[in-house]
Amino acid sequence: MSDQTLQNAPAARFRRSTTESFAVRTTLIVLSVLFLGVFLLFPLAVVFVEASKQGMGAYLEALQEPDALSAIKLTLLVAAIAVPANLVFGVAASWAIAKFDFRGKPFLITLIDLPFSVSPVIAGLIYVILFGTQGYLGPWLQSYGIQVVFAVPGIVLATIFVTFPFVARELIPLMQEQGRQDEEAAISLGASGFQTFCKVTLPNIKWGLMYGVLLCNARAMGEFGAVSVVSGHIRGQTNTMPLHVEILYNDYQWAAAFAVASLLALLALVTLVVKTVLEWRFGAELATARRH
Amino acid sequence: MHAPALAERPVVPGPTALEPESSARPARVHGEPVAVTVDNVVKAFGETAALHGVSLDIVGGELIALLGPSGSGKTTLLRVIAGLEFPTSGRILFGSEDASQRTVQQRNVGFVFQHYALFKHMTVFDNIAFGLRVRRRKTGIAEDTIRTRVMTLLDLVQLSGLDQRYPAQLSGGQRQRVALARALAIEPRILLLDEPFGALDYKVRKELRRWLRELHDETGHTTIFVTHDQEEALELADRVVVMSNGRIEQVGSADEIYDEPATPFVYQFIGDSSTLPVMIHGGKVSLEGRQLRLASARVPDGPARLFMRPHEFNFVGDETGAISGVIKNERRHGPRRRLEIAVGNGDHMIEVEVPPTADHRPGSRCSLLPKQFRVFSDAG
Repeated sequence: MSDQTLQNAPAARFRRSTTESFAVRTTLIVLSVLFLGVFLLFPLAVVFVEASKQGMGAYLEALQEPDALSAIKLTLLVAAIAVPANLVFGVAASWAIAKFDFRGKPFLITLIDLPFSVSPVIAGLIYVILFGTQGYLGPWLQSYGIQVVFAVPGIVLATIFVTFPFVARELIPLMQEQGRQDEEAAISLGASGFQTFCKVTLPNIKWGLMYGVLLCNARAMGEFGAVSVVSGHIRGQTNTMPLHVEILYNDYQWAAAFAVASLLALLALVTLVVKTVLEWRFGAELATARRH
Repeated sequence: MHAPALAERPVVPGPTALEPESSARPARVHGEPVAVTVDNVVKAFGETAALHGVSLDIVGGELIALLGPSGSGKTTLLRVIAGLEFPTSGRILFGSEDASQRTVQQRNVGFVFQHYALFKHMTVFDNIAFGLRVRRRKTGIAEDTIRTRVMTLLDLVQLSGLDQRYPAQLSGGQRQRVALARALAIEPRILLLDEPFGALDYKVRKELRRWLRELHDETGHTTIFVTHDQEEALELADRVVVMSNGRIEQVGSADEIYDEPATPFVYQFIGDSSTLPVMIHGGKVSLEGRQLRLASARVPDGPARLFMRPHEFNFVGDETGAISGVIKNERRHGPRRRLEIAVGNGDHMIEVEVPPTADHRPGSRCSLLPKQFRVFSDAG
């Protein structure tokens, strides 16, 4: 009897308390989709359309041009140095913060966030002031024949600075949430510090770590501001992909600019897809990390 | 005063922490060799001290409980014994050797955590084998031997057949048994359990408690477990160490702790009790200037506190009662019924347990004679 009463009852009466009326819901959804379409999807589509306007031949030609190739190589090289460096720094910093108690811990956490709050241009300028010809360390290093600013080392340094927080920020909440018990269990069973790290800590954080590395890599390849200040824009030598796109654009080489840009955009899309897959597959484990 | 005053039961001197310790540390307790000695351990976290000079001897093969409210220092003491924390001062001895400077790895203790701390990414088998595998370089143990040992342990903790499961696929009780097997795998000198059943629900907890007792009788490991559940401590342990504010209040068997509490804290913490502020003069007890028909020869003159248990009262006639009062309230309490009785000028309440069928109306006067009571001087 009661079952039937329930089935026959109008569904609207049992609407969830947080649900709004149809009109409100529709308006909100349409607004979000429109906004995303106009500001995100449309420009992205334009990049690919513009890139392929002159046909596939021109597209490939633009990418095979020596300066473009050198920019791609440099971008990959910078990422290949900056990402592993930040992986090590990030794991070390979050390990220290999550597993040890020491004085000045809140200060260290604030410091890790600094690159997020500082404009990338300032990050670049710091290195020019430090290592430039008139800088504090520049002349001394130059006497040994080491060129930092307007050369690859400067670009790497600036990229590391800007992308430092990604891995650490991802891992700190995750490791804090996990606590120290697993590690304590491991050492009480006789594992050394290194064994504990490899067999217990690393497996516990691997998906969060991968997520952080992914974001870090995307930013390392796409960074413009800081790199622009230290690079000196020397074609074929110190131009990364984002800088190369700007130069081509300023030279009115639209097709080439969009071709290189499309490659960068493609990278962003791949990152997005991998990120989504990670979230979908290991959502629960990542949830703690994303709560910051 | 028609009847003679009821005398306080004499206290059997027990091994309590309050008695001055002899300078030579005993190598034996009750004739048994000592497995672990905690020697005047102080542990401070920054400004706050978690342990104030704790000393304790634990006998080989003993199952001992560290019982106390949260913040009493019981977990800190366990972690100091394990080597997960280092004492600010004092020593930990395993047998006759000083373990204080040894690392956790060297101490070879089995530690079981409240929240299991199983390695999520490893199967039950790999979890139990972990301790054996990380020591393989030193011990040279063969994988076959590890397999045999793990299977034997799985049998022991009654989880045969679950070796390829992951911790997430097990119930809480099963997880804790895996954690125990993992700790036993390294053949520890002592087994340390930190609130082992704290995260489990009541039924499972009771079941595992009995099972742990059987396991202990079977394997004979010296076992120390921390709990805030007095029922668990009194039921499971050979000896109970009651702790409060970083100090040991009393060490004794369940009977000693329950029947002969050494301190006011133990009396209040273990079981239910009512307390009245009284004055002692020449061994006589008085409440708010009126003498009660109770005598306490041990307690010096001055302010003191009288402790009684709700289930240890007799209702008597006016002329033989020790305490009289007015029934204020009655409520059902498990299989019994509890009365709240206002005594003295009505400012103090005591609780008295009666059979559920007893007819005591609120508002009526009654006269009570405690079967047992204890008086503790406020002077300490």
